[in-house]
Amino acid sequence: MKIVIAGAGAVGSHLAKMLSNENHDITVIENDRERLKNIGSSFDILTLEGNASSIGILREAKIKKADIFIAVTQSESVNVASSILAKELGAAKTIARIDNQEYLFPVNRELLIKKGIDYMIYPEMIAAKEIVGLLSHAGMSDVVDFSGGRLHLYAFRLEENAPIINKTLIDISDPDDVLEYRAVAITRNEKTIIPRGHDMFQEGDLVYVITNKGGVNNLLRYTGKENIEVRNIMILGGSRIGVRTAQDLGDQHYVKLIEIDREKSYRISNNIDNALVINGDGTNVDLLNQEGLSSMDAFIAVTGNSETNILSCLLARKMGVRKTIAEVENMDYIPLSENIGIDTIINKKLIAAGRIFRFTMSSDVTTIRCLTGTEAEVMEFVAKQDSPVTKGSLRDLDFPKNAIIGGVVRGNSSFIANGDTVIKPSDRVVVFSLPGSISTVGKFFN
Amino acid sequence: MKSGMLNTRMVVNILGFLLIIEGLFMFLSIPVSLLYGEGDFVIFLLSGGITILIGGVSYFFSRNAEKNIYRREGYIIVSMGWILFSLFGTLPFILSGSIPSMAGAFFETMSGFTTTGATILDDIEALSHGMLFWRSITQWIGGMGIIVLSLAILPLLGIGGMQLFIAEVPGVTYDKLHPRIRGTAARLWLIYIIFTFAETVLLWIGGMDIFDAVCHSFTTMSTGGYSTKNASIAYWDSPFIQYVIIIFMIIAGTNFTISYFALHLRFDKVYRNEEFRYYLGFILLFTFIIGTGLIFSLNLKPEESFRVSLFQVVSILTTTGYVTYDYLSWISILGVLILFLMFFGGSAGSTSGGVKIMRVVVLIKNSALELKRLIHPNAVIPVRFNNQLLDTQLITNVLAFISFYLIIIVISMLGMSALGYDLDTSLGSVIACIGNIGPGIGGVGPMNNYNHIPDIGKWFLSLLMLIGRLELFTVLVLFSPEFWRK
Repeated sequence: MKIVIAGAGAVGSHLAKMLSNENHDITVIENDRERLKNIGSSFDILTLEGNASSIGILREAKIKKADIFIAVTQSESVNVASSILAKELGAAKTIARIDNQEYLFPVNRELLIKKGIDYMIYPEMIAAKEIVGLLSHAGMSDVVDFSGGRLHLYAFRLEENAPIINKTLIDISDPDDVLEYRAVAITRNEKTIIPRGHDMFQEGDLVYVITNKGGVNNLLRYTGKENIEVRNIMILGGSRIGVRTAQDLGDQHYVKLIEIDREKSYRISNNIDNALVINGDGTNVDLLNQEGLSSMDAFIAVTGNSETNILSCLLARKMGVRKTIAEVENMDYIPLSENIGIDTIINKKLIAAGRIFRFTMSSDVTTIRCLTGTEAEVMEFVAKQDSPVTKGSLRDLDFPKNAIIGGVVRGNSSFIANGDTVIKPSDRVVVFSLPGSISTVGKFFN
Repeated sequence: MKSGMLNTRMVVNILGFLLIIEGLFMFLSIPVSLLYGEGDFVIFLLSGGITILIGGVSYFFSRNAEKNIYRREGYIIVSMGWILFSLFGTLPFILSGSIPSMAGAFFETMSGFTTTGATILDDIEALSHGMLFWRSITQWIGGMGIIVLSLAILPLLGIGGMQLFIAEVPGVTYDKLHPRIRGTAARLWLIYIIFTFAETVLLWIGGMDIFDAVCHSFTTMSTGGYSTKNASIAYWDSPFIQYVIIIFMIIAGTNFTISYFALHLRFDKVYRNEEFRYYLGFILLFTFIIGTGLIFSLNLKPEESFRVSLFQVVSILTTTGYVTYDYLSWISILGVLILFLMFFGGSAGSTSGGVKIMRVVVLIKNSALELKRLIHPNAVIPVRFNNQLLDTQLITNVLAFISFYLIIIVISMLGMSALGYDLDTSLGSVIACIGNIGPGIGGVGPMNNYNHIPDIGKWFLSLLMLIGRLELFTVLVLFSPEFWRK
């Protein structure tokens, strides 16, 4: 697939790397020469120096033949303008990154679609949604819902009291015939494996499990975690993510939001009436204590600074906060932060990349998520009439070793897949895949 | 894997693969030998077999290597790849006894792969057709590059492929013709093959037999300069053949990106390329000066003197090294002009060697602007090329390249003179080898060859050819302590 990406910032570079590893033809447009040089010499992509909203540059990027145009520059107006131009010049599909909720209102959306922007992503809003979702499963590191909640992917870290430590997959398999959950991946020492029957769980593993609706309670028993009821929440940083999260949480929870900038604090408190806005330095321990850090159920650090977020989460944890969520934008810090005890990492790049990645798949993908704890991706496919995946039981299919089918949603029911499962057309299938295998997996659903 | 450690397995893996490719190329000589009823097809079968066997074993035992390679692996793979290619490439010469000495065979093969075209053979025509064909093939593979070839046919890891490509095709800046390196490599080879084929047909029409036409197309398009005749192109004494070869030498010395655009009829891109205009400009300027000089000094007819002049200027500028006339017999100033051209080389991104036109132009522009900077110390005076401002980093790189180039030449001259050679021969042999030209001046002029150089000198000159072909840094970086520091 021919893909043109405008903007080699964090999201753009991540997409370029990921998509070029999946064998797509990538052209990146960026006006910062230094940035271009960096990605041009380390990934197999074509780079073009210039402004993405210039028609000449878009032509040079062969936009006419492009299957997808992705605008993820820092500037929203460039993204919108270049997407409209790209569509006009012949790009088959356009995606623009925005940071303005107004565009997403149905009326305005229609207008923009008519102008040629097929899809808009607003990473901050998605991040806020994810944070809210996570807080209702506070024992888990990560949660992904599929098919409106008929299947879930949970990620949790095994602590020393977890009953399944040192047991193999066979040991814990359900004695009854009906499977309610299945471990699809284990991340250990920054490497992710797809466990087979004799692989053993160890302390500190990050385990990814697919469950159906009923499986969740049993799962908690095995992990040694109890579900924490979250009432009191402290949010550090009045960034877009912070404000949106506070807005979404405020009615059911008691939320305190700490922002360092005085002007901004006033503006935020003007916009949010269901949360308490506090003007102060979040790295000031006294201030945090005064505001009752130790009585918080969850601490969410979403300042623009990854280091501040990580450190303040550690502090919160030390003070006894049971659920900590940090926004970490530096990809190299992610495994590190998870290892030192931060429950969940939020990363805008991965969020945006996951949403965009979906459009590059030729098969019918309804959900795709890049996970923060691992390089792997989890996807929900819809099997078609003659998809190769329907041609036999999973055991007999030559499914890639680096991917695993976790669960299946058929009509209104859902079940966990095993070797005997036969996928039927129009089933929704949840697949967990390590990088590099995604296109092969996609072929099974074509 | 820790950073700082070399991914040796992957290096072995890729080198093994390269050798398999080389072995297959050796097999190409078998049908030639059989066609001419020569018995040495056995030699090629044996040489190819040994090469494929060793390559295959290395490839097989390292197949589980981690696929990630970085810059350092890139430099090692490319440098070692070229050395191994030359080592195994000697097998046909050694096994058949065509060139009995190891140093000689290595020199001849390295001279082939690096498209230098310097020979140690006193009587080229004594070689069998199979051997001559192998000699031409080495130049043809080396012209576009062994890594570029393997990238085009081997689905190497994208990122790893990038590192290898940069190490083998350093250039000043590199252009990609396609988002994927594999696509770029494939397009480059396709253009290369198209031109080679076109030239073969034209030479054949011009009166060469098909064997000579193929061999000379191989060595023209690669700017190599190996001929199948002792007298080189002068053997045919045909203006038509000379003009055909001139045109294709000019094409071979042009950035292949430009040829790509020309073949796609996008002439605006061709015309706007500043390096290309300078390249043609230099050719015309030197041809005019030397041609005029020849009219007066040798009393040649105007057409002949300009043809001789054009042929020699293009042959030296593109570092091909074909000869139609002994330029050392000309009046001194014309010979010195030819020596000048030996420094220049063709365009960046072509198959030619030398400093490359773009670097020369950047050097001249920057030096001229330096004078302006002296007068206006606070002025911002950037260097422009192709209507674009050049990074200071790029300019530094160009200056470093030229400095290294000159330093290496001076030190190597010292080495050659220590072997007892006079100034002319020392300078000529060094500049002709590092510039991948072939014939130099003095004792290695167009009417002589390199056979009289002692073994140690042959090994040394072989190294110079490699350094020149990989544009200095890829090989030199291996000698820096920083490279090996953990």
